[in-house]
Amino acid sequence: MVSKRFVAKRLLLLVPVLFGVATVVFAILHLSPGDPAVAIAGNRASQAFVEQVRADLGLNDPLWQQYVRFLGDVATFNFGESYQIQRGTPVSRILADRLPITIELAVLGQLAGLLFGLPLGILSAVKQDTWTDHLTRIGALSGISIPIYWSGPLLILLFAQFLGVLPTSGRIGSAHFIDAVTGFILVDTLLAGDVPAFRSAFRHLLLPVVVLGIYQMALISRMMRSSMIEVIRQDYMRTARAKGQGEKITTMKHGLRNAFIPVITIIGIQFGALLGGAVLTETVFEINGIGTLLVSAINQSDYPVVQATVLVFAVLYTLVNLLVDVTYSVLDPRIEQ
Amino acid sequence: MAGNDSQVSRRSFLKAAGTATVAATATGSVAGCLGGGGGGDGGSTLRYGRGSHSSTLDPQNTTSGEVAKVTNQAYETLIGFQPGEAALTESLATDWTMDGSDVTLQLREGVTFHDGSEFTADDFIASYRRFVDEDYEYYFEDASAYGPFTLGNWVDSVSKDGDYTLNITLTQTYAPFLRNLAMFVSVVISQDAIEGDTNLDDEMVGTGPFELSELDDANNRIQLTAFDDYWGDAPNVDEVLFLTRGQNSTRAQALVEEEMEIIDGLDPDTIQTVEDSDTASAETTQGINIGYMSFNMSRVEAFRDRRVRKAVSYAIDTQSIVENIYSGIATQADQPIPPALFGHNDDLSPYPHDPEQAQSLLEEAGYGDGFSFELTTFQNPRGYNPAPLPTAETIRSNLDEVGIDVTIDDRQFSDYLTYTSEGRHDASLAGWYTDNADPDNFCYVLLHPQCEVPDGQDWVSWDTEGFNTSNRSAWANPDYMSLVEEAQATTSQSERASLYSEAAQIAHDEAPWVYLDYAEEVRGVSNRVSNYTISAIGGPHLDLVELE
Repeated sequence: MVSKRFVAKRLLLLVPVLFGVATVVFAILHLSPGDPAVAIAGNRASQAFVEQVRADLGLNDPLWQQYVRFLGDVATFNFGESYQIQRGTPVSRILADRLPITIELAVLGQLAGLLFGLPLGILSAVKQDTWTDHLTRIGALSGISIPIYWSGPLLILLFAQFLGVLPTSGRIGSAHFIDAVTGFILVDTLLAGDVPAFRSAFRHLLLPVVVLGIYQMALISRMMRSSMIEVIRQDYMRTARAKGQGEKITTMKHGLRNAFIPVITIIGIQFGALLGGAVLTETVFEINGIGTLLVSAINQSDYPVVQATVLVFAVLYTLVNLLVDVTYSVLDPRIEQ
Repeated sequence: MAGNDSQVSRRSFLKAAGTATVAATATGSVAGCLGGGGGGDGGSTLRYGRGSHSSTLDPQNTTSGEVAKVTNQAYETLIGFQPGEAALTESLATDWTMDGSDVTLQLREGVTFHDGSEFTADDFIASYRRFVDEDYEYYFEDASAYGPFTLGNWVDSVSKDGDYTLNITLTQTYAPFLRNLAMFVSVVISQDAIEGDTNLDDEMVGTGPFELSELDDANNRIQLTAFDDYWGDAPNVDEVLFLTRGQNSTRAQALVEEEMEIIDGLDPDTIQTVEDSDTASAETTQGINIGYMSFNMSRVEAFRDRRVRKAVSYAIDTQSIVENIYSGIATQADQPIPPALFGHNDDLSPYPHDPEQAQSLLEEAGYGDGFSFELTTFQNPRGYNPAPLPTAETIRSNLDEVGIDVTIDDRQFSDYLTYTSEGRHDASLAGWYTDNADPDNFCYVLLHPQCEVPDGQDWVSWDTEGFNTSNRSAWANPDYMSLVEEAQATTSQSERASLYSEAAQIAHDEAPWVYLDYAEEVRGVSNRVSNYTISAIGGPHLDLVELE
């Protein structure tokens, strides 16, 4: 079992990490060119109007005062209101709308990676140095090497524009309006009992999930292969075979379980990278998650949204890593020590 | 015991992982059963595709034309623009007079708001006060810069005479004011909504032909339905859906594949995609905008010499820019007033590309050996300049031929705005879309300094008190200023046209800008659509659109 002390210790470590992230984000935003007051006021505004906006936002205060105020707001989970993206809307509400979209995408991408990566890795290991192995390894290497901003448009061109079998962008067809209960479109369409909407959402998510999953699949299959090859050579595997156990059962029962431990670690660590990948995937497929939110907020100097979104990314990344550590210690209790 | 617990936990975990894999497999198998087919079936739903989602539904909280496309369907102004034209027409006011600084409007009776309340003069007064009157209990703290720009700077008082007569007294005779009343920000919002707890960022309570049905920020779309109690002719479609596709190519593809009926924001490549299809076509109309290059006379001494400005105008090949870079979706500009507006001087023509004449003028001005300056530009395309960086590169190359060394300084738009509004540019690419289809909106807003000008000088220092920083050239020609001021105070349109025409002649000859282009308004329109008129100001008038 995982001790509460272990989890508490790791959670406490979140505080300095988030403090550091908040400070860096604040510094970068305030040192970068562009004045949010001018962006908000627009080019019809007089200088007096711009000054008024700047004063209203507290941008005339010394930087340290703005920084202290910002830290105080973050500590009380007050991220302020959006300057531009959804004017006047609390950033926390915007994030609550957008976060499930990104999480759904990342989780589906991870599942797709697991679904194809694990069997391919195992197959590659048991068929080591055969054509199957070589082909799988070439595929995996390509999967790791191809960037999302290339594979995304390529798949759009092929499946959406050339073959015309899948939609190019968005999460659901324009005719379907579904109340957001969980924010996960597949779940919400099912909860609404709207099968056509579910089908539409599924078809819309297919390409982005594949794009996100390709990298995961490649990574998992490579990791699974090397881990499995190592396990296959262990004495206990030989013993199992010597007992007369079939090759399939030996591999799946004794091999897979032990080979899975390092793969879990990689999966967890990569989930953070998956969130980063979601920024690109969402941009390519025009999905309105926190990835596109961050890009739009940076382009429009929407400080509160940028700050909160980066913090959310940091929290998610840290929490996922904590979850990995916890999982790992469940699988191998020596880790906790 | 600990060992056993761990054993159980591991087992549970692996079981959970297995379940997840099975679930994923099941989901995957569902995919195989799914057929093709895109979004919705359309029906009497008009799907309008655009590049950005609305940041708000409150027209008083924005300067964005993107927001106006939606709010113009649900809100109405007292005076409107005729579809496809710059002329004014009745809307919530049926008649109006302007006598010097006094404006009187007769309001339409029998008009109902989407919340069921009846429209009266009090609704306009509440809307006006919310926008500009800080003493009003329901004053909107986040009101956009259009508040003072459109109404606040010009209106002295607003009062009513009964429920259906409005009297507005202006601070001075200001002829463009009636056009300001037709701008999308001068909407009439239900007084009940303003003084109640309605969140106007998310709700629209107007009198327009469509009412808000669904605001779906998570998927960047807005659904409007026909308003049953609309005072005018009922819309020809039951529903309008505003959809967002950020990439032009994706939007064009959606139109071609009949997933949208009308799209905007087309570039030359996507126009070709639409034109090559047999399901849609690209339609154009003359825009009311201008793209130009400003000379910052406050900062660069050489630009204070008219001969240098003219030399630069002759040296830049605007015809090549318009034909080769803007691919024919724009025409060469020759004056600050676009051709679609009254006051445009038809006798003027663009500066021809003449490097020899440019060289000669530079020598005459004492700059025969050339000089250098920095050209600031935004990075992303805008309607009046679909390719800012290639434009800047062409300018650099053209000016290099006459010995002028140009360094390009490209910036992200909000940074560009900050930089140029502070007057830190030597020269900048710039542009303007009309707010109210009045020449004053170009001549006064963009080229009048609106401050004291030292005697004998035709430019002002950027730090002059009250200086209008939208005048990015800091140009201050006294003859031009007098004409523009006189036109503001003249109510006869023909007299105003003559004054602006004369002012345009001065602006052409003095060359405070390099006049680059007037961009066309281009829309992709499905073959299923009829009765759609592109409007360069106001609209889009989607209630008139018919679908086959």
